[in-house]
Amino acid sequence: MPPGIPLPPFAGIGLRSPHVAQVRRDRPPLGWLEVHSENYFVDGGPALAALEAIRTDYPVSLHGVGLSLGSADALDTGHLAQLKRLAARIEPALISEHLCWGRIDGRHLNDLLPLPFTDEALGVCCDRIDAVQAALGRVLLVENVSAYLRFTSDAMAEWEFVAAVAQRTGCKLLFDVNNVYVNAINHGFDPRVYLAAIPGEAVAEIHLAGFDASGPCLIDTHGTRVAPPVWALYRATIDRFGAKPTLIEWDTDLPGLDVLRDEAAIAQSILKEADAVAA
Amino acid sequence: MPSLREVQRGFVAATMFDDTGALAGLGIVAGALDPAARIAIYRNNVLGNCRKALAATYPIVQRLVGSPFFNAAIDAFVRAHPSPLGDVNRYGRELARFLAAYPPAQDLPYLPDVARLEWAIDQANIAADASPFDTTALRAVPADAQGELRLVLHPSAQFVASPYPIFHIWQVNQPGHTGDDRVDLGEGGDTLLVRRAFDGVVIERLAAGEHAFLAALAGNRSLNEATERACRIDPSFDLAGALKLHVTAGSLVAFRAPSDASLGISR
Repeated sequence: MPPGIPLPPFAGIGLRSPHVAQVRRDRPPLGWLEVHSENYFVDGGPALAALEAIRTDYPVSLHGVGLSLGSADALDTGHLAQLKRLAARIEPALISEHLCWGRIDGRHLNDLLPLPFTDEALGVCCDRIDAVQAALGRVLLVENVSAYLRFTSDAMAEWEFVAAVAQRTGCKLLFDVNNVYVNAINHGFDPRVYLAAIPGEAVAEIHLAGFDASGPCLIDTHGTRVAPPVWALYRATIDRFGAKPTLIEWDTDLPGLDVLRDEAAIAQSILKEADAVAA
Repeated sequence: MPSLREVQRGFVAATMFDDTGALAGLGIVAGALDPAARIAIYRNNVLGNCRKALAATYPIVQRLVGSPFFNAAIDAFVRAHPSPLGDVNRYGRELARFLAAYPPAQDLPYLPDVARLEWAIDQANIAADASPFDTTALRAVPADAQGELRLVLHPSAQFVASPYPIFHIWQVNQPGHTGDDRVDLGEGGDTLLVRRAFDGVVIERLAAGEHAFLAALAGNRSLNEATERACRIDPSFDLAGALKLHVTAGSLVAFRAPSDASLGISR
């Protein structure tokens, strides 16, 4: 199953509605843009029209937050149909989702909730990913999520679970470096062990974001600049996997577009160093 | 070992309904933070996401009651009316109905109707697009056949009626509103048309005859039937004036013959 048009191994930003008008007007030099798929699950109107205009200027990636790939409930076929309709309209470079759950007995919690890393959960995720890839007719990327708890029923480490999903389904990975770091601190493991367990050929995109460290546990808020240890882990990630399309995500306390472009420029300089080494 | 479904049901019971038995059954690794504190992080995230999404849909309701009241109402709403969709942006259709029965909101009888107005605005923003009315094609229909035509409203068009002056309430609570912000609840009710025009969502007050006319058209009645209904309510109803106004403004976007569904715009 071929992926869509690949993204260039450049830095991009997550495009949020307060920045849309400015991006359309100024067309800043960014490698690509990512939007939340669900924000465009609409029949028409100005938001969808703006995305259709933007996709003519930039490669666009659709990043979903609500498909609930790890739910014991059956796959939400209505949600999948909406995604398929949007993909046909936007022709995105990539489509991604999260390795988590968010729905049970028909109730959506509209959050990225942690899975027990059991054989049963692995089987459920792989079945759903197979079904989504078949329905979309293309490869799906799945992202590792941040978590604030672990289950005693875990039969494997998170990195083993993530690697097994990619290996069994042929899906690609959206490797979120910040989430690996947040989980390493919250659950006490060495993030380099995680990194070493991930098959590099499966990694098709990288996410970077900021976390909140004011409480007893790191919280993945997407509300600050990327933290220095996450930049260090990102360098190690690029050293291991080579240059990959990298996204700056920012969702809460959204700053001006210039701040996101600054962060993207840092990622771009790290990507460029990797290219220079590879050349 | 609990099944995946058991874990997920237990997680909902612990986060949304403070079920301590369910929390104990989840088998959460304690470590530096106890399981209740870990579940509390998710409770805050889930309720916070819903508060944020519903505040974006219902900014005037939030302003009318204040954030603490709004947040408490949303937390109760989320427990009573689970989100049926993976898309939180589309969550909250039942908020007006919930507020009508919510004991702390009983002193604000207009609040559910303001919520219905805000839901209609939200829906109008995402409804399908439509091409403008083809008046040339309409003129080609013989005059004696025009009365049987079905006129089609813009896909975003919705009616909101209230015994309270909800449009006035909505207006004086807009960010940047200056001047007198008092509203006399006795000043009379509103019948409103909410729709998306070329430059955004508009809200218009409808006269009784005009509402009867447009509502009949929305119900797939013929132009003749819609006119009769309007005249029954308002004998001075001006068909030519109403048609010109709503075709020019874009609330009416198409027409079709009684037997021909193809020219219509599905709603």
